[in-house]
Amino acid sequence: MTLTLVILVCCLPLAGALASILGAQARGIGIATAAGGAGALAAAIALVAHILSHGTYQAAVGFVYVDPLSSFFVVTVAIVVALAGLGSISYLCAEEAHRGLSRVQVRLYGIFFGFFAALMLASLETGNLGLVWVLVEASTLASAVLVAIEGRATSLEAAWKYIIISSFGVTIALVGTLFLYYSASVLDIVPDQRLTWPILFANAASLQPASVKFALLLAIIGYGTKVGLAPMHTWLPDAHAEAPSPASAMLSAALLNTGMYAIIRFQALTGPQLGRYGSVVLLVFGFASIAIGALFMVRRRNFKRLFAYSSVEHMGIIAVGLGFGGVLGVYGALLHTLNHAIGKCTLFLASGEVVLRYRTTLVSEVGGILGRAPVIGTVMLLGSLAILGSPPFGLFLSEFTIVRAGFVRQASLGFLLLALLALAFIGCAHTVAAMVLGKPRNETPPAAASLRSVGAVPLVIGLAALLLLGLWIPGDLNTLILKSIEAIR
Amino acid sequence: MSTVNQGLLLDLLSVAILLLTFACLGSKLFDRYVAYYALQSIVLSVAIALVALRLDAWDLWALALLTFLIKGIGIPIATRRYLIVRLELKRDVAISTGISTSLIIGAVLTAFAYFATNPSSLPGGLVASSSVPLSNAVILLGALCMVVRRNTVAQLIGWLILENGVFLGAITLVATFPFIVEAGIFLDLVAGVLIMLTLVSGLAHRLATTNASELQELRE
Repeated sequence: MTLTLVILVCCLPLAGALASILGAQARGIGIATAAGGAGALAAAIALVAHILSHGTYQAAVGFVYVDPLSSFFVVTVAIVVALAGLGSISYLCAEEAHRGLSRVQVRLYGIFFGFFAALMLASLETGNLGLVWVLVEASTLASAVLVAIEGRATSLEAAWKYIIISSFGVTIALVGTLFLYYSASVLDIVPDQRLTWPILFANAASLQPASVKFALLLAIIGYGTKVGLAPMHTWLPDAHAEAPSPASAMLSAALLNTGMYAIIRFQALTGPQLGRYGSVVLLVFGFASIAIGALFMVRRRNFKRLFAYSSVEHMGIIAVGLGFGGVLGVYGALLHTLNHAIGKCTLFLASGEVVLRYRTTLVSEVGGILGRAPVIGTVMLLGSLAILGSPPFGLFLSEFTIVRAGFVRQASLGFLLLALLALAFIGCAHTVAAMVLGKPRNETPPAAASLRSVGAVPLVIGLAALLLLGLWIPGDLNTLILKSIEAIR
Repeated sequence: MSTVNQGLLLDLLSVAILLLTFACLGSKLFDRYVAYYALQSIVLSVAIALVALRLDAWDLWALALLTFLIKGIGIPIATRRYLIVRLELKRDVAISTGISTSLIIGAVLTAFAYFATNPSSLPGGLVASSSVPLSNAVILLGALCMVVRRNTVAQLIGWLILENGVFLGAITLVATFPFIVEAGIFLDLVAGVLIMLTLVSGLAHRLATTNASELQELRE
């Protein structure tokens, strides 16, 4: 039963890939992708319910392992996959009508989108840290193809930068994994179990200290490259800006989280040996990322790059939340992961709709979206406010929790975080307001004929979910987060 | 063969791998980059086979064979045919430091690798303890290749060398890695190389250059 759900979660997103291989049209591929995403989300929710009532599930010597923490990340990523799948319908149909993508490109999109989603979800469902590495690297490769899919010189350049920097970073994480394996050689277990997380976690106090420290540092730097922690974030703005918007949504809202998930697993193992050492490292990288993200958000000319830097900032906030630690800090960080995933996914999908209408990603050529496309303009404005952490949206609540955790830990760090958040707010709000509310500057009529109203569906769902999470945290979500924290303490 | 001799041989092979990395760092011809990489991979496969002999593990034999076939023969031939010959690459002119400077930096990095992972700080369970700092040196030098070379093909070779360093570390530090993970790592490597080959030829087609230094449209 549970195993079926686990398999369904990571295989259903392949529906779009299957449709592409069977030779469907753009519309069919889009619908199959969306249906696969929705099915994966349904299976993920059922899996969470099952884990909450029956406890952690483990099979095949830990190669399949789902505890509350992984099911929390599974459901977060599945939400993003479902929304981005819905967004793919309008993207693929519009690009086919506009002749932006050839038939082969449409099919490649379907195939690699499906594999990207499936590999990310699978990487969250295994307890073997070596397999986690394999799946994370594989999802990087699949997503690099998506970044390059539009075939412009700039998108190929972004894909090259992305694949070479990320593969380099992830290879560092592999060295970290090797050291972790080595540190477990003092334990009396069969070699195949030396990377099995639950076994390592149970014996965390007796791992070999020197190599555990190596493992943690290399993992934070390596997976941190994936997460986009400064100063390893340089691939992120290019890749997010050049990828098709549904793929940008997946990169920003799902892929970054899988990297953070791996870091959380490594950090949990080192607690007994190194104490707060891991937290301090995360705080340093976290604050650096918030600062870099906030500074680079000021006067951005390309709105997809603006949102990409906002992702750097938010990953920093999550790292800081984990660094502050305690139930409060980790709770805030996990809640923020969910909120940021929904918010950023909505924003990237909205900017995708803007790109389809205006055929540009430059802020200066877009103005007065609200007059021309009211739904998208509203979502863009409210979504940006949400992502900047204004009430009554979910991100306000989670940022507030993290700031509170900061004041509990050390008041000066709390103040620093508040100041950086204010800077980010000013930098971003100025640009978005000009785009949404300003005078229309683009005189060419938008190619509205090929656009379908289906593009607005994920936007409205996402915004509604953000609002809901700001006003009310469902009891089951609360239990899930508390149990996740328990699983790593 | 006695255990001591095997350990000694493994150390020697590791040294050969390090020297081949230096040779690559000191070269300016694309042909040579690929040749040194191929040779290094073959030495690596012999090293893996030696560990397999010592531990009598079938999965290490499989790994040695895969390394020989894919890294030693497949990837070099593919890189040569699809990139170097087709794009008519000869001399690498896009190196940001002089050869001698990068060799000196390489020497410093090697010394650093020795200090950082002193064999005596990692007791027990090692097949050949002096291979660990050597493999770390290869990793650092591979990274150096990627940093000082601006040509995308040279960066690709740099990453492959780095990967060889990781494998050398893997067989000496953790010879009994789960096979499924090893196979997965290998699969990722192959898929990665294929995608990178496609990207590089796509870029060459679009921009008529393979130099990453001329990739600056995304600067803002």
